[in-house]
Amino acid sequence: MVRCTLKSLTSESLVKKLCTAALAVVAVAVSSQAISQSAGGTMVMIAQPEPPSLAPYLSTSGPIGLVAPKIYNGLLDYDLDLNPVPELAQSWEVSDDGLTVTFKLQEGVTWHDGEPFTSADVQFTIMEVLKQFHPRGPNSFREVSSIDTPDDTTAIFNLDNPAPYMMRALSAYESPIVPKHLLEGKDIREAELSGKPVGTGPFKFVEWKKGQYIRLDKNEDYWKEGLPLLDRIVARIIPDASTRTAAMESGEVHYGAFGAIPNIDVVRLRDLDDIGVTTDGYAMINPMALIEFDTTRAPFDNKALRQAISMSVDRQFLIDNIWFGYGKPATSAMTSNYEPLGLYKATENYPAAPDVEAANALLDEAGLEADADGVRATATIDLIPYGEDWRRLGEYMKQAMADIGVKLELRYEDVPTWLKRVYADYDFELNVNYFYQLPDPVIGVQRHYGTDQIRQGTPFVNSARYSNPQVDELLASGAMEVDAARRGEIYAELQDILAEDLPVVNLFEMEFLTVFNQKLKDHTVSAMGAYGSFDRAWIDD
Amino acid sequence: MAFWRRFCRNRSAVIGLVILCLVILIAISASWLYPEDPFKLVGRAMSPPGENGFLFGSDTLGRDVAAGMAHGARVSLLIGLLATSVAVTLGVVLGALAGYFGGWIDDVLMRLTEMFQTIPSFIFAILIVAIMKPSINSVVLAIAVVSWPAVARLVRGEFMSMRNREFVQACHIIGMSDWRIMIREILPNCLSPIIVTGSLMVATAILIESGLAFLGLGDPNIISWGFQIGAGRTVLRSAWWVCTFPGIAIMLTVLAINLVGEGLNDALNPRLRERT
Repeated sequence: MVRCTLKSLTSESLVKKLCTAALAVVAVAVSSQAISQSAGGTMVMIAQPEPPSLAPYLSTSGPIGLVAPKIYNGLLDYDLDLNPVPELAQSWEVSDDGLTVTFKLQEGVTWHDGEPFTSADVQFTIMEVLKQFHPRGPNSFREVSSIDTPDDTTAIFNLDNPAPYMMRALSAYESPIVPKHLLEGKDIREAELSGKPVGTGPFKFVEWKKGQYIRLDKNEDYWKEGLPLLDRIVARIIPDASTRTAAMESGEVHYGAFGAIPNIDVVRLRDLDDIGVTTDGYAMINPMALIEFDTTRAPFDNKALRQAISMSVDRQFLIDNIWFGYGKPATSAMTSNYEPLGLYKATENYPAAPDVEAANALLDEAGLEADADGVRATATIDLIPYGEDWRRLGEYMKQAMADIGVKLELRYEDVPTWLKRVYADYDFELNVNYFYQLPDPVIGVQRHYGTDQIRQGTPFVNSARYSNPQVDELLASGAMEVDAARRGEIYAELQDILAEDLPVVNLFEMEFLTVFNQKLKDHTVSAMGAYGSFDRAWIDD
Repeated sequence: MAFWRRFCRNRSAVIGLVILCLVILIAISASWLYPEDPFKLVGRAMSPPGENGFLFGSDTLGRDVAAGMAHGARVSLLIGLLATSVAVTLGVVLGALAGYFGGWIDDVLMRLTEMFQTIPSFIFAILIVAIMKPSINSVVLAIAVVSWPAVARLVRGEFMSMRNREFVQACHIIGMSDWRIMIREILPNCLSPIIVTGSLMVATAILIESGLAFLGLGDPNIISWGFQIGAGRTVLRSAWWVCTFPGIAIMLTVLAINLVGEGLNDALNPRLRERT
């Protein structure tokens, strides 16, 4: 410490530093009168669990998404209404036929190691990295056949077919732009970059103490004028849930997202003056709790039974009593968060209040007679083994479905056994689960219903083995439709068919919770929420 | 009658017996007291004890805690008894064989017993249930598998000390078969320690079952005290009654069984008591 001070005292730049400091003080004094934002300070966030790597171009794992978008930029960001806003691309233009997308890139951007960022990096990232190695990249950039780079700040995407959904997959979380000069000619999966990320983003990677923390420092040369405001971000790894809650309560950490603080503790913490809670910032994730049915065999090959179940579930009861009030009853095969895109439609068979009588009448009509004990059908219900909440949901289902004569047995297994049973062996009847619907139905919903998504052995796809040529056609045309209004009509029709057939009964739109210390400001400023860059976040001391 | 008088001499054993009888009574009359399925959502969720017609309150889904406890008593006692009988049977057979015959049979059986004894019993039980599907059968089996070695050790010791007694040698001389000597002559003479161990084992079995159910490894279709505690622990700060009453039930029952076990010990081994 002492040696450092002596060194800086003797250095020539001392005067310069003092001047800068003085200027900064004046600047802060002036600006604090106009706006209250202040630069400086360290934000501590919870990374839960510890990320497997810091390679967002290889994995979509949640904790990577918490850290990496602070280091890397995407071409675009999305505001809270899901509208694209400039990031590395300062403007973009989609041709009338939807087959060329031209991005004009920011000027004067450099990588953290000083190399200049150019359109060649964009070309390399999309074509050589994301299209090859990213879990969802091959789907997002399926139609991109080549990228032209006429100059350093222009990238022209050439598409085989229109791909409007691609424009929703360009965030720093979903499609980070990575440095060509550090990956070219190397084994992408093994490259050193995955543990020592070098990006163009607001914070530079400094240190990763495994099991303890990841430290990021301010990028002084960030291309956005005057940003970032924070000096440092520390992502702390705290495996125990009650320790995380205690750290939040004591002000030791400022920010915890994606259920880092359990709902039951949130209910208590939100009453504290210095703690805030928000459900914003998850519009790009759109988790949906649901029931999948094996539609190929009895009893759930009968759609009347699936409709009756959807009609008699008390969705609000689940939200109020199991998820502590956080969630929104599902009203369609698609999340209501697609509403700003014009893709959402409330549909039949998702009543606001459960209608057991109508469900029973429907089953009587369908010829599913109850026996002497009032039982119409028996089945085993599998429950996603992700914790107590889902068991309570199963217990609720067992009771509620008895009212319509469906006798359920509960089955709760470990994760690999359950995944194998449902997605590899198809040895299930109905299964409680949750899916991310993501920012666009092509990425998040299609995998549930398309005939080509009956992929035995791949988890979280069409395990209902639902196949409807009309649905396939609508999914295909919806993916390629450029006209927003026309696209909305296609998906409205699709949602009506799915509400009638119900191969999957959606239960409720889950709400993840972000818990934060009130000192931390402007943390949730985009649809990316916790997966955002945090370049505008600041600490109010 | 002398047995009963000796048992009554131990005041706490009598108290234990009274509590145990009460629990058994509740278990028997559960379907009469609470004819509905204990999982049924019968009213307002999280009602405190005494409100909305819930004696011990309701849980997060609006299930009656008292109904769950009555039906849970049945499950806990049933699992305790079943698991103990399986464990005692297995332990007696293996212990008797090892103790009576000695030699290589003893060696093989005792090494086997030691193998089971070296594994921490609760973790072993978790492992067994996790590998099999959680169900009432797998839970009973798991408890039996981790409990039998103690019985086997005990019975082996008893058989070893008896096999060279004069009455056994007399049996040999009159040409009795080994089988008959073991069952008709030696076993009745070592019944009292087996009964005492067995009764205490019921208490342990109830505890293991509760522990497994608490961790979510019980049969999800059957209510038990451990399940109730496990389901209520997340709301311990806001609805204390969901965990507390089943917890008290477990404590009282296990305590009662232990007291009765002590009393049995005194009554069956009167000399032991007079010595102390």
